[in-house]
Amino acid sequence: MNTRKITTIQATAILISTIIGVGVLPLPLFAVQEGGTGAPLVTFLGLALGAIGLVILTQLGIRHPQKTIITYSEDIIGKWLGRFCSLFVILFFFILTGLTAREFGEVVVAGVLQETPLEITVIVMLLLACISCRNNINVFSYIHNFYLPIILAPVLIVVALSLKNANLLYLRPIIGTNLPDMFIGTLTISALFQGSFIMTIIIPSMKNPNQAIKASLWGISISGGLYLLLVIATVSVFGTEEMKQILWPTLELARTTAVPGNVLQRLDVIFLAVWVTAVFTTLFSSYFFTIYSIKQLLHIQDHKMLSYFLFPFIFILAMLPQNIFQMYEFIKFVGRAGLLITILYPGLLLMIDFLKNRRLKGSASQQT
Amino acid sequence: MRHNKHSLVLVLVFFLLLPLLSGCWDAMEMERRANVLAIGIDEADEIDQKKDGEVAHLKDSFLKPKGKLMKMTVQIAIPGRIPLGPDQGGEQKPVLVMSVVGHTLEDALINLQQQIADQVFLGHLRIIVLNEKVAKRGTKRLHDVLRRNPEIRRTAALVVSKEAASQYMKLMPGLDRVPSLYLADMVDNLSALGRFPPSFIGLFWTIYSSKGQEAYLPYLTIKQKGIIELKGLAYFKEDKMVGKTSPLEIGVFMAVKGDSEGGYGAFVQVPDTDEMVMVRVRSRKNKMKIERKNGLPHIRLKIRYECEIDEKASFKMKLNDSRVLKSIEKETAKDMKKSIEKLIAKTQAAGSDVFGFGEHFRAKLPQYWNSEIKTKENWARAFQQLTYDVKVDAKIHRVGMKAK
Amino acid sequence: MVVFFKKNNRMKKPDIGKEKGPFREGGKPGSDAILSASLDKTVAEIQQILGHSDDLVMKYFKVFGQYEAAILYFSNLVKQDSINHDILKPLMYVPEHLKDRNRPLGQLADLIIKETLYHSQAYPERNMEKLIDYILCGETLLIVDGMTEAIRIGTRNVEKRSLTQPETEQIILGPREGFIENIQTNLALLRYRLPTPDFQVKTMKIGRLTKSTVAYCYLKDIAKETVVQEVEKRLSQIDIDAIMDVGYLEQFIEDNPFSPFPQIQSTERPDKTVANLAEGRVAIFVDGSPFALLVPVVFNQFYQTAEDYSSRFLMGSFVRMARMLALVFSLIFPALYVSFISFNPELLPTEFAIAVAGGRAGVPYPAVVEVLMIEVAMEVLREATVRLPKQVGGALSIVGVLVVGQAAVEAGLASPITVVAIALTTIGSFATPAYSAAFALRMLRFPIMILAGIFGLYGVVIGIIFIFNHMLSLRSFGVPYMSPVSPENYQGMKDVIFRAPLWLMPKRPSFLHGANRSRLGKTIKRNEFGNE
Repeated sequence: MNTRKITTIQATAILISTIIGVGVLPLPLFAVQEGGTGAPLVTFLGLALGAIGLVILTQLGIRHPQKTIITYSEDIIGKWLGRFCSLFVILFFFILTGLTAREFGEVVVAGVLQETPLEITVIVMLLLACISCRNNINVFSYIHNFYLPIILAPVLIVVALSLKNANLLYLRPIIGTNLPDMFIGTLTISALFQGSFIMTIIIPSMKNPNQAIKASLWGISISGGLYLLLVIATVSVFGTEEMKQILWPTLELARTTAVPGNVLQRLDVIFLAVWVTAVFTTLFSSYFFTIYSIKQLLHIQDHKMLSYFLFPFIFILAMLPQNIFQMYEFIKFVGRAGLLITILYPGLLLMIDFLKNRRLKGSASQQT
Repeated sequence: MRHNKHSLVLVLVFFLLLPLLSGCWDAMEMERRANVLAIGIDEADEIDQKKDGEVAHLKDSFLKPKGKLMKMTVQIAIPGRIPLGPDQGGEQKPVLVMSVVGHTLEDALINLQQQIADQVFLGHLRIIVLNEKVAKRGTKRLHDVLRRNPEIRRTAALVVSKEAASQYMKLMPGLDRVPSLYLADMVDNLSALGRFPPSFIGLFWTIYSSKGQEAYLPYLTIKQKGIIELKGLAYFKEDKMVGKTSPLEIGVFMAVKGDSEGGYGAFVQVPDTDEMVMVRVRSRKNKMKIERKNGLPHIRLKIRYECEIDEKASFKMKLNDSRVLKSIEKETAKDMKKSIEKLIAKTQAAGSDVFGFGEHFRAKLPQYWNSEIKTKENWARAFQQLTYDVKVDAKIHRVGMKAK
Repeated sequence: MVVFFKKNNRMKKPDIGKEKGPFREGGKPGSDAILSASLDKTVAEIQQILGHSDDLVMKYFKVFGQYEAAILYFSNLVKQDSINHDILKPLMYVPEHLKDRNRPLGQLADLIIKETLYHSQAYPERNMEKLIDYILCGETLLIVDGMTEAIRIGTRNVEKRSLTQPETEQIILGPREGFIENIQTNLALLRYRLPTPDFQVKTMKIGRLTKSTVAYCYLKDIAKETVVQEVEKRLSQIDIDAIMDVGYLEQFIEDNPFSPFPQIQSTERPDKTVANLAEGRVAIFVDGSPFALLVPVVFNQFYQTAEDYSSRFLMGSFVRMARMLALVFSLIFPALYVSFISFNPELLPTEFAIAVAGGRAGVPYPAVVEVLMIEVAMEVLREATVRLPKQVGGALSIVGVLVVGQAAVEAGLASPITVVAIALTTIGSFATPAYSAAFALRMLRFPIMILAGIFGLYGVVIGIIFIFNHMLSLRSFGVPYMSPVSPENYQGMKDVIFRAPLWLMPKRPSFLHGANRSRLGKTIKRNEFGNE
């Protein structure tokens, strides 16, 4: 059977729906905390940084169109060093999976289901991802492709409806207060684009791996554009000072917005409900990435049982943070540390690969 | 075989989930909720002071929150009294009005819960009425719980009342089956009709948080039995109400603020006569330039009114001459300018920048802002020294269907 | 027994079951008995196998007044007239052209078949077992003393009903005929619409007892070769005693028998079958069933009707969207209702919320129990009305819906709004044209309702994601179930939510990709007509 079935559009869809996840809820807060009125600029810089990382990764993938970062790192920096680094990559996505589930559980419990135990909402969400992970990579891409409109629509609708309350004055001055803060903000924001790492396991299944760079750029610019839009909308409606007091400005934006004609009195609950889909796809991706990578690292044939095996560990990890503030500190820390893995590590790999290739070519040309 | 296992798992998961049904943690039937439709907040009087519920704290323990007790009056919908479908002429009161006291809003809510069987539910809270005295003492202590509670709508209305807020809860306006809904709709409609700038609790918080402006709220009074009137605009400094305007000044306020929706009209004297015409504002255009003059903040305001003449007060005068119209325009502009300057002076005296001039300075002159202002208090002081230039231009476009 | 074809471990085992049956088809060494030359012996043998059925007719006579012979047939399966006139008469009277000729025993079979019988289906046969099968199917056997082969004559004539309107797929515009039980008629209906050499019909016999004729047909070059092979493979692996209906086959050849969703479409309409053949699908018939199976299918077929294509595209698109809405309604409406009432009443407009609370004031149960109760009652009612004769059915539904509903509300068992919600749901589930797909959604409504009872809207969404993920992982004969939505195909998307004009869909669906993909020739564009 032909395994290279994923089209460019599917790859783009996977990227978008993986990137857009639970991070959208606190995103404007992160941006404003560090950037003040420069929040859109910070977001843009974060987007640019994320895009650089993704382009590096995609380049690596195109150079090794049959392999993922787990396998080609062994070729580039040697078997044991490669495996050692892959261990970190896997661990990082393992943690990311747990934190995503926890963060969403936290939002649900605070926003809608106050009496429901946090554990239950987290378990349900993880279970959903866990069971879906038993499918192969083609179904993985179908699922992402299918949910894409459901992920984009709620944000766009809320943004469009909230424009009525927007006040452009709040967006100025465009350059925020001070540069060091903005730099940290940039790192925090670009950590939200780490889901794009999924690209590395997609390229080997793409119909046309050379189109991967196109898919990457489209994917990151659509999701980044959505982030930017969201930050601009929240800042222009709430102003920076008010936003610092709101835990999830995006949700609050949905709360402030009423549907014309009073069909529904409040959008936040609906927004959150539809948002489950977006969180699911993100969780699904990182879960899938984790087990797929473990499978490749250990050369296991079948990843289905692995999916159940990991479930309790991810759940325990998700339950580790004591409260919501600790969780967010943890998330920010893990996110920034993760940049080493998602941007610096592929960058180094690409450089070494490039040099190696040139040396090989050089020696080849000397011989002739 | 893959599908086989997959589906088996699905079925298994489903059965594992079934026992959770007994959980139903959050399920709370609608008729088991006490739907609070409106809240009125007053200061507790001497008698009420003694009614402290001791639910959330013990009486003489020193952990008691400081400050005077407040009295909260709520309007709760009684399920079954408000019938489905067209009115069947129910004579019973559709709502229950209750009063409780508490140190904070949450304290009062807990006390309320202690007194009723159903769970207090704030998801349908449409309006919060603050007594003038409470507003003057400061609204800070109310906001925290309102913000934390996810049930509260950010679009609920917040108003200041002249009379005791409890009176508003007991009102029975005849126009709507549910009294508080009438009240809420009235407040919501104010901005649609151009009687008041947009105002809801979320906006109040937003303005209150931003450094360069002060909040405002509608100020209501009770006219006669069951009739409510918009009496002016209550303006705040920080969280405390510091003054109120007359109803017509709301129009002036909207002009300075830049709301284009016109609604107010005023009598203008036709120059060289004793006659008056009613000039009604249809829309406004507002241009604001900010700068620093002699180190002090300075604004130049240019407002252009589009008006129409609704009525003239006497038969004698003729209104068919464009020169007369011109002179009315001029007179209107002059009047407007005067009242704008008066209103700005009034708020300056109170140190309350309801117009949000400060935001313009923050946005457009960030260096000045960062070096000299930075905080809300500083801006309040700077605002008092603010100088301004007001230019008003009025145009009358319509005179209605009458030729003379 | 369940058959899995993807990794068919079970079917690769030797077919033990096949050896057991008393009647087997096909000749296996050792089991075929050759006819003996003696008439009496042969007849006795046949009688021994068939037993003494009273409808077995045996008539002894003399062929050409010369040779002892007998004809055997089941009187209920043949037309007596035809046997008398076309078989007995020419055999008993020596025809003119044979009078002067020598009629030796050795050439007798040839003479009878080629020069005597007035019948186009007459063949010599010497295998006893096959002869038994033929006689059981309604053919007439002619056995002549001294001849080692019998002659079988196709005299089968079974009563069949006339062509009627399809009961399960009523449409307003379009052809009126439906399939009937007789497979010959059904194939004739297709041939009549497809006079092309590309139209291929392949038959086989399935069923140890029923020996039902199974036919699968397709259009060469348009249907994908691998799909046709897959159909052949899956059909040939079926071994069952009786096939009553095409639904028996469906259960054996579908991809995932545990899925609530149908992966094969069945239809009663010849026009729909032809349209599907022309798109590259394979149709499967069984003698005795008025339904055809169509494979492979994708989900969006289940809410499409033949009418969508025969009516103008605006109309077709509008109706289709209404149907999709009904589909969504029938799945999630009660669950949404539960979560709005018990979890998030703040979403409803205040006036309405208070009124609903008023309506529910007397109801002692939580919303989820109330809804489940009424839903179950509704299912019972529906099943009861299906089983009842038409005249009573109408009365029962009135009693059920009006009287019971009204009484339940007045007794405080259910709130009026619940009844409205459930009624809408039920009506919505009737709007889905494919019964099996509608049934899937009806069934899935219950788990979603329970999830809504636990988690509110969150549960509803979780349930829907579960269902969609399952649908996305399904395949029907190698075709992803949710195509052309995902995996995406923009040509195919023109026929999912709305139906684009026929002249804008020049390609056949790509997920069925056969060799020949063009639907339209190089015609002028439709919008040019106006400019002439």
